[in-house]
Amino acid sequence: MKALVGTLRRICSERDGRLGLLFSVVVVLFALVGPLVSPSPNAIDVKARFEPPSVTHLFGTDNIGRDLMARTSAGTRYALVLAVTIVLISSIVGSLIGISAGVLGGWYDRAVTAIFDIINAFPPLILAFALIALYGTGPVTFILLITVVFIPQFGRMARARAQALRSQSFIEAERLLAVHPVTIALRHFLPNVAGPVIVLASMNLPVVITFEASLSFLGFGVQPPKSSLGTLIKDGFVSINQSWWPTVSAAIVLAIATLGATLLGEALRRVIDPKTTGVR
Amino acid sequence: MTAAISVDNAFVRFGDTAALNGVSLEVPQGGCFGIVGESGSGKTTLMRAVLGLQKLEKGEIRIAGRVLGTDRGGLKQRASIIQPIFQDPAASLSPRCRIGMLMDEVGTVLGEAREETRGRLNGLLRRLGIDPGVVDKYPHEVSGGQARRVAIARALLMRPSIIVADEPTAGLDVSVQGDLLNLLQDLRQAENITLVVISHNLAVVRLIAEDAIVMRQGVVVEGGEAGALFSAPGEPYTQELLASWPHISVRQ
Repeated sequence: MKALVGTLRRICSERDGRLGLLFSVVVVLFALVGPLVSPSPNAIDVKARFEPPSVTHLFGTDNIGRDLMARTSAGTRYALVLAVTIVLISSIVGSLIGISAGVLGGWYDRAVTAIFDIINAFPPLILAFALIALYGTGPVTFILLITVVFIPQFGRMARARAQALRSQSFIEAERLLAVHPVTIALRHFLPNVAGPVIVLASMNLPVVITFEASLSFLGFGVQPPKSSLGTLIKDGFVSINQSWWPTVSAAIVLAIATLGATLLGEALRRVIDPKTTGVR
Repeated sequence: MTAAISVDNAFVRFGDTAALNGVSLEVPQGGCFGIVGESGSGKTTLMRAVLGLQKLEKGEIRIAGRVLGTDRGGLKQRASIIQPIFQDPAASLSPRCRIGMLMDEVGTVLGEAREETRGRLNGLLRRLGIDPGVVDKYPHEVSGGQARRVAIARALLMRPSIIVADEPTAGLDVSVQGDLLNLLQDLRQAENITLVVISHNLAVVRLIAEDAIVMRQGVVVEGGEAGALFSAPGEPYTQELLASWPHISVRQ
């Protein structure tokens, strides 16, 4: 708890960190309070098609008169839930696989590295297309898919850290005391790997958000009538001649969300992992 | 009486360099055994091989008369017989664990109740001159000298019959060096431990060890009773080592 407060304080001590935190908080609040202040995201009002931003519809309405603020808020919520879930699962699973590979070595390590390489060999979008073609769209498929794509990143980092730790005296001391290998992995490797993993996780949040938006933009992500930042931008783009605000509002939210998460991630890296920070 | 450690014709090679080039030695039980040599002479490799951290290319090492495997059973047996004190003891304490937790781990390995471990620990800490409150601290919160003592306490908590200390006095100022050597000597006598001291510092080995060997380029150059070895060295290398040692005399 004290560490958390200290980290927050240090993030707030610099401009980028404050900005990142502010943007992130705004986006999260937007996602949370949207449903409270605006009508249902799927309520159609054909008399109010393509309405410009007004007091009743802050972001205006789309081609069938749905409130864009509600839809953007729902899309943001969806993106955030997906991003957090995916990053959480892939960081935990990736760290455990990476640590075990780094600790155990041998054929297990080679097999894990080979699998990571195979997954990494595919460009994520192409891999996503293939898997969606096989397993269809839907949040669970999407989460599983992106998680698989992201696990190698965390796995590699955890593995590299674990290998570096393995020859350190304190790990050797544990082994020479015959402390159980699982205890060594969880109590002595994991906490020393956690810092960079947390940093990588925070830097991957915006990547997942954008990735989800891209897939939805291309029609491989969220299916209608549900909304996502990607589909909002796409739908707005189709009718950009009638109204520009659907695309712009969704794009601004996406930009703030990714910018906020990126700045926050960078600030977190400077706090947790100051050694890797270059001269600014 | 079986030797505490017996090394028979041990070979270890790193690439083209032979770190151990056919080393054989016997460390008798009880007493203090010194291993001297300059940097790169293979003394640390020898220590790592004895601890099971370094595989031998050829040869055999027996600890208390037994060849110990690297499986879980072998590790446990080895742990209960032999414990190290590393060159940088502060680095041998896991940085994100409180010292108390590190001590309790030893108890868990021994299958001992926590109170019993803590009881023994308090005794040890008192003997080492550390406040028992140290258990609530993280390793980075104690001084270098304290960390060294904590690492020694942790090794002793395992109740080993052999302790291998790599450069136990490295990085300590002279007065603390003396204290530490006395402490090791006292502990050795009180707990009936065989102490192996590895050092490039001849004065340390001469002061504390009964028997000693001199290593150079992965080979044992000379060995024998420490006093005799250093007062009348037979090998030119030992003579050189002795000559290169700055003589400091105590003003009366």
